[in-house]
Amino acid sequence: MSAPIFAGTPEQQALASEIFRLMSAQGALFAADAPIKQTLSNLTDFLAAQRKREREAMAHEIDAALRANDQVFARQEDTETREIIYITSRLGVYPTRREDTSHTFKQRLYEPDEPLPVDDISVVVSTSRPALTTVEPVFISDYWQQQAGMVSFPLRSTSASTGDFDVQELEQDRESEVPVLDTDKDTPVEPVVSPDVALDDLLPADLVAQDLPAQAVSSEIRTTVPPVEITNQELMSDIEEVVPGPAEPLVAEADEGITADRLVSEDRVDIVDVDAIPAVPAMTPSESVVEGSDEVVQADEIDEIDEIDKIALEDTEPIAPPAIFTLPDGTAIDLQQPVSKLMATHRVILEEALINRIDQDPLQRIVHFGRDLYTDADKINLGKNDLRRIRDYILEIGEPVLDTAIIADLYHSHRQSTTESFRFSLNYRLHREKEFEFVGVAGACLWSTRGLPFIGTKRVKASEMGHLTSYLVEGYDDSLEQQHGAQINEEGIVNRQITFFEWEHGILPLDASLATLLPQPLLSEQRSVVLRFDVPQHYTSYLVEVRYPTGNRGGWLQGLEDFFHEHLVAGAIIKLARTEEPHVFTLTYEESGVRSDRLLTFDDKKNKFVFANLSYECAVDSEQLLSQRKFGKLKNLKALPTPDRRKADFVLAHVFEVVGEQLGTRNDPLYWLSLDDLYVAYNVLRPASRPYIESLLAADAMYAPDEATPGAYYYKPVPEVEEIEEEEDTDVLVYDDDDEY
Amino acid sequence: MDARSIIYGETALDKLVQWLRATGEPQDLEVVVQRYLEILRELVVEEQP
Repeated sequence: MSAPIFAGTPEQQALASEIFRLMSAQGALFAADAPIKQTLSNLTDFLAAQRKREREAMAHEIDAALRANDQVFARQEDTETREIIYITSRLGVYPTRREDTSHTFKQRLYEPDEPLPVDDISVVVSTSRPALTTVEPVFISDYWQQQAGMVSFPLRSTSASTGDFDVQELEQDRESEVPVLDTDKDTPVEPVVSPDVALDDLLPADLVAQDLPAQAVSSEIRTTVPPVEITNQELMSDIEEVVPGPAEPLVAEADEGITADRLVSEDRVDIVDVDAIPAVPAMTPSESVVEGSDEVVQADEIDEIDEIDKIALEDTEPIAPPAIFTLPDGTAIDLQQPVSKLMATHRVILEEALINRIDQDPLQRIVHFGRDLYTDADKINLGKNDLRRIRDYILEIGEPVLDTAIIADLYHSHRQSTTESFRFSLNYRLHREKEFEFVGVAGACLWSTRGLPFIGTKRVKASEMGHLTSYLVEGYDDSLEQQHGAQINEEGIVNRQITFFEWEHGILPLDASLATLLPQPLLSEQRSVVLRFDVPQHYTSYLVEVRYPTGNRGGWLQGLEDFFHEHLVAGAIIKLARTEEPHVFTLTYEESGVRSDRLLTFDDKKNKFVFANLSYECAVDSEQLLSQRKFGKLKNLKALPTPDRRKADFVLAHVFEVVGEQLGTRNDPLYWLSLDDLYVAYNVLRPASRPYIESLLAADAMYAPDEATPGAYYYKPVPEVEEIEEEEDTDVLVYDDDDEY
Repeated sequence: MDARSIIYGETALDKLVQWLRATGEPQDLEVVVQRYLEILRELVVEEQP
């Protein structure tokens, strides 16, 4: 960009050049033609100070120099402040800005250079009428319609085989059923013509829609029927003539005319323009009497005829296609029914089918956790750092943690931490990670991870417990006999007596009563739930793990070993109750005075049952209390190893032999034991219900009920046969031929 | 739309996704099934002449 050439004296040129340089520097970032403004006072202040000149003289010199170069510096004077302003640009000249209105976007938009010709307006707006979609009527044979009771008589207007409109049949119908005007009569009343009554209007809608030759028929009929002139009397007499028999007399009073509508409605193929018969008297709506006839046609009968015609017309209308689709399992769903009704009937099937389909969606557009569904695109992703933090947090807490607690403690500052979508995202992500395990229920999403302390006893393995409690899923659960399920659901309380096995291991078999009280697992593949049992009597709480039944294995609760040993004895009655929290329950027991007794315990070190002095203050059932006085023989029970304890019949025989009363001899033993004592003693070794023990007794011939004492049984074991080893004396039996000879 | 051509869980699933996104938060399975039936019903019943 070349500098402008300045005019004036050398001093003025130098001064103008310096001012131009100053103003160019001022507008260094301006556009080349953008105005750069500066006031005379500012220039004077700057240059006077720089050159140490008087301000007045300097101002005069500047003004003179810039006036001499007015092609470079435009001079303006502010009318308000009386300030002199010089304007230039980096180009060295300040062109006055003019607005270019030679072309505008608005102009180009509304006035294109090459507008479309008028003929091509169809490109923008279609002048042709779009084809209307028509639903083809479904033709149903008259035969089937009659069979289904849809019509009371065969349709006349369509051919039974093809559905085509039969002109001759139509005319025959007209002659046989329709009041026909006699055109031979010549008494003029008023010309009656019917050019405007289109047959199409009188035909069933489906016939018209099918584009059958009905229009041709109608036009033919119009042309073949000439205009007629009739009188009132002729009309009445004609009507009398065509009225079929006395069974259905169609009569009319002479002084009350036949209404036009009536005449038309009774005849679907009437070609008379009845609106053009003003002189015809109207028929009374209620009843009509024919002159000289005693027959009376009730209005109801006429309406009945109308109804028949109406049904015939309706039956020929297209039938709406059924809105039925089938689910994968074959269940038919009719969408014509209200959604609420469908949900009430098929809710479970519909939910399962939708979940299955959503899982199979290759795009995985919808994801679900429990019963909550959300879009995959909207869920919040959590990274590996998040998972590590959550795992550390759970380990720090030392027990399963609620999702809400995780969010509150780890994501309290997260802007979306309060939304349900974040909660869903957290649960969904943790559910997909192997190092996390969901142990919550509906309404309380608890998460566990590897490394947490084990809940419950390790003395009984999970596989063994599943086997020991299998009687519950085999139909020997009698827990609901004392307390009905409805009552448990209503009150939210279960009372239960604990046995020795339960007391010793802190385990409760998950029978029907507990299953009714406790929540069900939220996820289908969930195998356990962790609940918290609060003990208000001691201000303590215990974590209890619920293991749900799987297959032929029963379920149980574990984790109450410490509480049972500290506060209860076998035979105590406990009460479990729901709270407002779905995963929190209260565990209480009935207290009594402090008592002490020698009760059965298990010595881990000696691995045998012993009686020891125990103090307790819980109420117990004296029949179930394992005191040495009553069940002294129990100390002889063997702590059976796992393989033997799994054999229910083996345990039963062992209990009989140890606890039962020996009535026989040593060589021919016979044991006797009541079922109550058997139940108590059997539950020392493994859990069982009374029906289960009774089934074991009934299944083996060695057990027989005592007829004299109901509820008591005999056990007569099969004497053991001493195996005598047959010593084969090969020396005797085997000989060598050589020896003999 | 002919109801017989409906594949439950596949037909109009995009509309269900659209509705689910519009709600802005996870929905219970029962509510989703109910809404899905309404969508199918709109497709079939209300399009009939």
